[in-house]
Amino acid sequence: MKTFVCIKYVPDTSEAEVKVNPDGVTVDSSRFSFDINDADNYAVEESVIIKEARGGDITVVSIGPKQSDVMIRMAMAKGCDRAIRVEDDRIAGHDPLMVAKVLAGAIKGQECDLVLTGCMAGDDGHMATGVALAEELGFNHAAMVKKVEVLDGKVKAYRELEGGLMEVVEVALPAVLTIQTGINEPRYAPIRGIREAQKKELKVVNLEDLGLNPEDVGPEASGLVLENLYVPEIESAAEFIEGEPDEKAEKLASILVKGGLL
Amino acid sequence: MISEIDSFTEKYDLLGCIQCGRCTGGCPVTVRADLNVRRFVYDAYNEEKLEELARLAEIWDCTTCNTCAVRCPKGLKPLEVLLALRSMVVESGKVEPTVRDALQSVLLEGNPWEKPRATRCDWMEGLDVKMAEPGVPVENLFFVCCTIAYDPRLQVIARNMVRILNKLDLDYGFIGTDETCCGSEVRTLGEEGLFEMLIEDNTELLNSFEAKRIVTFSPHCFSVFNTYHPDLKSEVAHYTQLFEELAGENKIPWGGELQKKVVYHDPCYLGKLSGVYDEPRRVLQKIPGVELLEFDRCRERSLCCEGGGGKMWVESNSKKERLAETRIKDARALGADIVAVSCPFCLLTLEDALKGLGLEEEMRVAEIMELLGEVVEE
Amino acid sequence: MGDILVLAEHRQGTLREITFEMLAVASQLASNMGGEAVVLLIGSGMDEMAARIASYGVKVLVVDDPLFENFNGEKYQKVISAVIDDLKPLVVMTGHTAQGVDFMPALAVEKKLPLVMEAIGLAYADGALKATRQLYSGKVNATVAFKPADTYLVTIREGVAEAPEPASAGPVEKIESPLKEDLDYRKFVEYIEAEVGDVDITQSDVLVAIGRGLKEDKNLSLIEDLAKAIKADVAGSRAATDAGWIAQDRQVGTSGKTVKPKLYIALGISGAFQHVAGMKGAKTVVAINKDPEAPIFNVADYAIVEDMFKVVPKLTEKLKELKG
Repeated sequence: MKTFVCIKYVPDTSEAEVKVNPDGVTVDSSRFSFDINDADNYAVEESVIIKEARGGDITVVSIGPKQSDVMIRMAMAKGCDRAIRVEDDRIAGHDPLMVAKVLAGAIKGQECDLVLTGCMAGDDGHMATGVALAEELGFNHAAMVKKVEVLDGKVKAYRELEGGLMEVVEVALPAVLTIQTGINEPRYAPIRGIREAQKKELKVVNLEDLGLNPEDVGPEASGLVLENLYVPEIESAAEFIEGEPDEKAEKLASILVKGGLL
Repeated sequence: MISEIDSFTEKYDLLGCIQCGRCTGGCPVTVRADLNVRRFVYDAYNEEKLEELARLAEIWDCTTCNTCAVRCPKGLKPLEVLLALRSMVVESGKVEPTVRDALQSVLLEGNPWEKPRATRCDWMEGLDVKMAEPGVPVENLFFVCCTIAYDPRLQVIARNMVRILNKLDLDYGFIGTDETCCGSEVRTLGEEGLFEMLIEDNTELLNSFEAKRIVTFSPHCFSVFNTYHPDLKSEVAHYTQLFEELAGENKIPWGGELQKKVVYHDPCYLGKLSGVYDEPRRVLQKIPGVELLEFDRCRERSLCCEGGGGKMWVESNSKKERLAETRIKDARALGADIVAVSCPFCLLTLEDALKGLGLEEEMRVAEIMELLGEVVEE
Repeated sequence: MGDILVLAEHRQGTLREITFEMLAVASQLASNMGGEAVVLLIGSGMDEMAARIASYGVKVLVVDDPLFENFNGEKYQKVISAVIDDLKPLVVMTGHTAQGVDFMPALAVEKKLPLVMEAIGLAYADGALKATRQLYSGKVNATVAFKPADTYLVTIREGVAEAPEPASAGPVEKIESPLKEDLDYRKFVEYIEAEVGDVDITQSDVLVAIGRGLKEDKNLSLIEDLAKAIKADVAGSRAATDAGWIAQDRQVGTSGKTVKPKLYIALGISGAFQHVAGMKGAKTVVAINKDPEAPIFNVADYAIVEDMFKVVPKLTEKLKELKG
């Protein structure tokens, strides 16, 4: 089984205050920690589990800066065999369709049975890259997969639908599966393993190396313009619900139901 | 592989064990958990059994309080056998997610709390903190500890320290966001490779400052620097040692008093592991108004709070009373108003136990630096 | 003039709410952009569902064929691709759901059309269509403008619009399926219902979490009533585990589980740093605590300073009423 696993280096903003830079289209990431995107971490683990059961090898593909090498080495320490990191600032990162083209460029022309990637990135949250990548590669796909069974020439993918319902589908290989968090329990990459992984091949490439024309994946090729980013006003602090105890309960119930939280 | 296991037996001197059982007899967690440390020392000699032993949940029950080592008549360190077994689990990658995330955070951000390195000094906001500079001589180089730096409950310890240091006009410096986990919990969680890396990095970082001494807030940093960092150029002190000096020289300007009965809880890493028993007590005795009480189980016999040994990230399955609760009940029986501690983990576990027992109205748990903050002149 | 095409979403014989929410978005858009809201319904044995949608006063296009008995992203893509060629809609809109995300990106690549995922708002002005979407788990909003294109593709977040009231019935028109035989490369196998009783709180959408404030286990029934009313799972802090109120595997925090529910209701939890670390990924946090200084309020979206016992019974009652 020749597997590719596409991963992204993202900031953890769960507790951090996010500030928009003066350019209006980027955020100040100087106070964030960065790590592998959560769902991608599960995809890496799933690729290793499949390799342990059926043999084969795993190639990591990522678009990102030099700092993300530590994330790639961790994936290698867990069992991935080699990596391609695309470093090129001409990619229109705000458009997952452009990102998918670049990832496809890194995979095309190589033997490949299965591509795994997280179903969503924690930063921009499109949930689009994997399925777009499948189309670029001409592969079959299934999105939001919470369980995988590899069969001969196909996979049984358990897609997680709303409300905990699973939709089981059979998809012929080669295929792209976008992996949902919780599909497995990602292992720890011990330092000794990370050091050992320094010996594995990590190719750093740019668009030309992949045979891609920057104009096909840059802002001019994208059908979208990211006009501006702004911090929505209400989200900054808790809304304290006031009144007598009963009133508070009623107000809260109404917020939860009418606000679509339930 | 064989030679590695031979070294396991040799490394921990398993053949030196006479199976007297004093380790297990003194082990505080035996009242809560199934851990029998003597048994592990015995079984670990059988190389074929190691993998099986490493799978046992109770290897994670050890709080590394060091009682077994203190009591061993042959000078062995039975707890180290458990840590070596933990290492086997870590190397396989199959650790609990909480342990995984803590260790990974140490590698990526220099702290086990999954906080960005960039925010490590946020506790300094609004304070006039002197920062140490590499190559510039400094009398006291302060090492804050990840837990104190990031936990809003504990940041008061560091803030009080800065206020008092400024008041005393002491020559001091803080490290800043380059400060990185001391590795004490990394070691006890069994991540040997990461611990080795931290020793190297921290030795280099700390030696880059021309410090006469390094003053730690946490007994865990204190113990680990003194025990595993042979190449450190500066002496290492716990802050209670510095304050004992200052109090002894009558340099602390008391601005108030604390008319309270205070019982001091010995942190394992300051007491049993480092032999520092008297200095924190002397500091407390110097506080005007304080009546110092003693637990029956104090000093070398002090009861562990269960906060060390990586236990902040590994929950015990035991439903029995937490040792910290036992400790609070003991303090209450003594009639103490305040349980004073000098360790961030002891503060968290004991305060949690106090709240769990619903005794918030009657007693409090306080770090010595919190108490000093209340009585040192503004 | 093209229309605003809405893909109806249904599963196991039931129309999903997002279908009607999109009707509201589409009608609003049509009033600015031109054209009208038209619904595309794909399935097998669709008469009743088609009539129900039409009762909202919209035209419904129906592909009714046994090949579409169950959802299949690859098949949907083929139908919508053909419909785009045929009708040249201005906009094609689906829910940002397990269905929508399974084919819209592939469709966009295939048709070389621009796509915005999970829009929470759409606005058309001066000839330009712009979408609002969220980044960094909702901490930042983005305004994304579509460059001029024949058709704009967009998925809409659930719950951002309210379903309109039914109106006079619109027309239902059957269209022919472009799919003549079943696909051999992707097959629906079965649905598997969520297991009950065996709760994994890391996977829960809604959690009611209890802390020390519960005081004693006889109060648990209050919490269970609330959880039942809103289909939530019960979790808790270390104090709650210690007290034996909840099982160990439902503990949230650094020494327990890390959870990411859509809604986390913290009752009588002070919010120690070690607990917060385990639930900071929750999308929305509601906190009820009698201590106004409780740090849990720092991470809460909605806060009530009150003894939980004075609020929870009424809250449960009111929620039952509102949820029908």
